[in-house]
Amino acid sequence: MRKLRALCIRLCGLGMKRVDEDFTAELECHIDLHTDEGIRAGLTPEEARRQALIALGGAEQTRQAYRERRTLPRLETLWQDIRFGLRILAKNPGYTAVAVITLALGIGANTAVFTVAQAALLRSWPAREPERMARLIATTPQGEEVNFSYPDYLDLAAQSRSLEGILAYSRRGMILLVGGESKTVLDDIVSLNYFSVLGIDAQLGRFFSAQSQPASEPGVVISDSLWHRVFNADPSLVGKQIWLTNRAFTVLAIAPPGFRGLQRGVPTDLWLPTESTQHTDRKIREFEVLGRLRQDVTAAETQAELDALGRRLALTYPAIDKARNIGLISERERLREAMAPTLILMTAVGLVLLICCANVAGLVLARSDARRKEIAVRLALGAQRMRLLCQLLTESLLLASLGAALGLLLAVGLLRLQPAVMPPAQVELGLDLHLDVSVLVFTAAVAFLSVLVFGLAPAIQASRTSQVSTLKGEGTAAAKGVRRWTLRNALVLGEIALSVVLLTASGLVVRSLFFSQSLPLGFDRHRQLIYFDMVPGIAAYSSERSATFFAQVEEKAAAMPGVSHAALARRVLLSDSGGGMQQRISIPGVELPQGQLSVPVKFDTVDGNYFRAVGTRLIEGREFNSADAPSVGRVVIVSRAMAESFWPGQEVLGRQILADGAACQIVGVAEDAKVDGIHETPEPYMYFPFAQQPSGEGTLIIDAEGNSKALTTRILSEIQRTDRNVPVSVRTVHYLMQQAFWADQLAAGFVGALGALGIFLGAIGLYGVVAFTVNRRRREIGIRMALGAERRDVLRLVLGQGLTLAAIGAGIGLAASFATMRLLSTMLYGVRPTDPLTFAGSSALVILVALAASWIPARRAASIDPMQSLRTE
Amino acid sequence: MALRTLEIMGPQHGYGLARRIEQTSGDRLQLNYGTLYPALLKLEQEGYIRSRWGVSENNRRAKFYELTKAGQRQVKKAAAEWEETTTILARFLAPAEEA
Repeated sequence: MRKLRALCIRLCGLGMKRVDEDFTAELECHIDLHTDEGIRAGLTPEEARRQALIALGGAEQTRQAYRERRTLPRLETLWQDIRFGLRILAKNPGYTAVAVITLALGIGANTAVFTVAQAALLRSWPAREPERMARLIATTPQGEEVNFSYPDYLDLAAQSRSLEGILAYSRRGMILLVGGESKTVLDDIVSLNYFSVLGIDAQLGRFFSAQSQPASEPGVVISDSLWHRVFNADPSLVGKQIWLTNRAFTVLAIAPPGFRGLQRGVPTDLWLPTESTQHTDRKIREFEVLGRLRQDVTAAETQAELDALGRRLALTYPAIDKARNIGLISERERLREAMAPTLILMTAVGLVLLICCANVAGLVLARSDARRKEIAVRLALGAQRMRLLCQLLTESLLLASLGAALGLLLAVGLLRLQPAVMPPAQVELGLDLHLDVSVLVFTAAVAFLSVLVFGLAPAIQASRTSQVSTLKGEGTAAAKGVRRWTLRNALVLGEIALSVVLLTASGLVVRSLFFSQSLPLGFDRHRQLIYFDMVPGIAAYSSERSATFFAQVEEKAAAMPGVSHAALARRVLLSDSGGGMQQRISIPGVELPQGQLSVPVKFDTVDGNYFRAVGTRLIEGREFNSADAPSVGRVVIVSRAMAESFWPGQEVLGRQILADGAACQIVGVAEDAKVDGIHETPEPYMYFPFAQQPSGEGTLIIDAEGNSKALTTRILSEIQRTDRNVPVSVRTVHYLMQQAFWADQLAAGFVGALGALGIFLGAIGLYGVVAFTVNRRRREIGIRMALGAERRDVLRLVLGQGLTLAAIGAGIGLAASFATMRLLSTMLYGVRPTDPLTFAGSSALVILVALAASWIPARRAASIDPMQSLRTE
Repeated sequence: MALRTLEIMGPQHGYGLARRIEQTSGDRLQLNYGTLYPALLKLEQEGYIRSRWGVSENNRRAKFYELTKAGQRQVKKAAAEWEETTTILARFLAPAEEA
């Protein structure tokens, strides 16, 4: 305690000068008193004063000892070093900027990956004593399953003794209606004990529990995120009703912030209690089951009990539960398994940081080499090596701190990209990524470690400078220098080769993306298509009523200004559900492959305006029209691929297929369209008329001209005016395209960013090496110029060194690319993995960047004044 | 020692303190007066003593040090500890002499 008090006083004493005078006065008084006594003892005043000073041990020494005790000298030196370091860094803005940016890239990447890893794995699981939670799994001959049927769950929950509580949940999707607007939300149907087994308390209101059987009106718990997003965190929401998929629910409680359900990456918005009456089918396995282990029971005992329960289920319901063994995986174990990919990613960014550090070490080495003379002078003037080492390390620490600060900003930027990296979807996806204390600690630790990696070796090297030879102007440690030089050359060669590989890969992926974007999709993506997905089936309407509703909506929309075409389709091409439906058909007179009686073919149901609205060309035949009514003969339009695979080279129009036991006459052939993904090869596809195959779901497709936003609002309100009870959601062709090209774009972005990073690091490394040699060869260059070499020759000399390195590196890189690019072939479309244009482009780019990187030191070398360099060296 | 001397003599300036310590030890402890001041500063920082400017017996302006309450407690504690140490040491040394 006393020590702490003293420390505080010493800290406060920092930077105070006045106290010095105070002590000088005290010391003066001491000497005077002693002198007085000496005089009294009969000495001369001079002798008395001399004796007094001897007894004191020197006034200045005492003052120094006093000063050191008064404040913290080590801290003062550190502060001095920091100020000195800042001055040095500010004096060389180019060097500082390059070093800081390099470090920021490495540290930022590490911080970002760590944050993701932490959010995905390390952040504690949303439960009390999470280490006691375990997931029940079933092992079957087909593999492991995590899903159980609700009756099986009830049996397990009732019979298990070694588990304190067992909960079940099942993931759904619902449509939430708020203020006339509908939203897709994700909900979990959960067992009544869900929250009590997890041990979570509500933020507001009370959760449902096994005791409080819900009243006549079903209750719902909503997530903190949804509460904020949709209800503006209205505290009076608890107890009110909300509309979910055409049914009123009472809000019972708001979940605590941070609780986002049990599935990482797919946050839950709502929790609804199960109604046991609805889940009685033992065959339907749709619940995931978790249990809380009793404290006094071992894992082996629990497993033995579950084995017995599994066997009992298999005996009681052999048709369903035979050969299903029930096991247990603790949540910790599951996480550990999920850890591997994260570790690989961490290792990769760790390597990137190592390369960054190596580069910065090269820069620091080049700098300290140039400062050899300054260091030698300081050593000669009596500076301690330790003190010098500390000072050089302080400079590195400053670089690292700046790098870490910039890196944190970079990491925040990278994390902001999450929505762009997630697949486009109508619900909120993704992890809860934010910087917290542990991330900051991690960044600080990484920065400190990187100082040790890039700062220590150059600092030791520099402080070992031999004063005499340096001051005499001789080159130092020539033998050592040469070895280091080759190691650094190898490093730079590696970096350049790597950047060629990465650039080639990104070139290929980008070319593939361009190719994909030019692929014909079978409809016109450049139209302003807007899709209104409507589900009157949810309102339990009859098919006649649904059909009337669809007809009304289409008619009203078509009459609106700004609408070129309006059409109806059951499913939308290239959306999540485009190829979701298929029907088995048989074809009279055509032999199906392997003697099958029928084959499954994907289909859609559309109305007469569909082909005109989306721009799908009809190759022959006619569109559907009002004559294709429910009562008359059924018709079908087939795709070109279907026509060619079943009736190659023959007339197709007028032929018949049997679908659902009914004969359908082919009235048209449409061009092939992409159904599920842009990279699929054309396959047979059929269109049936909407009128002849009515359904409870459908999409109004609008081909808009001009401002589609205003039009969307008008059509939405028109649909709602027609029938308030039908949930509607809107998508645009732009959204569908984003979804379709997401994977390609992500790959191009990711590989492209890696390529940019690679070439940046390679350039820095090359710059470091060339600048280092230019410094070493100052005198030689001076002599050359004195002997008549021109600027041009010097430029050529230095550039030559840089370019030789770059060319060798590029050569290695090209060979490596040639060997590794075939690994990419599954990702590439419309471009061969050995595309010569891309290879030439990437190596040319690398050479160009290398030229730029060596240009700076070359210019400096060429501007050496021979007189000056010969005189000073 | 400085604390004990201050306890006996009351407020005292640095020079007086140094002389007094020398005298108490019967001139057997010849301390470098200069080392006294950092030690006094340390005690002051730790709150055992406090200082103020005053006038000495022969009319010189001097800085006087005096014990605080905490300082008095510390003297008692240190004295007790020292006594215990010497007792233990004495017990160890006594049989050795007999043998």
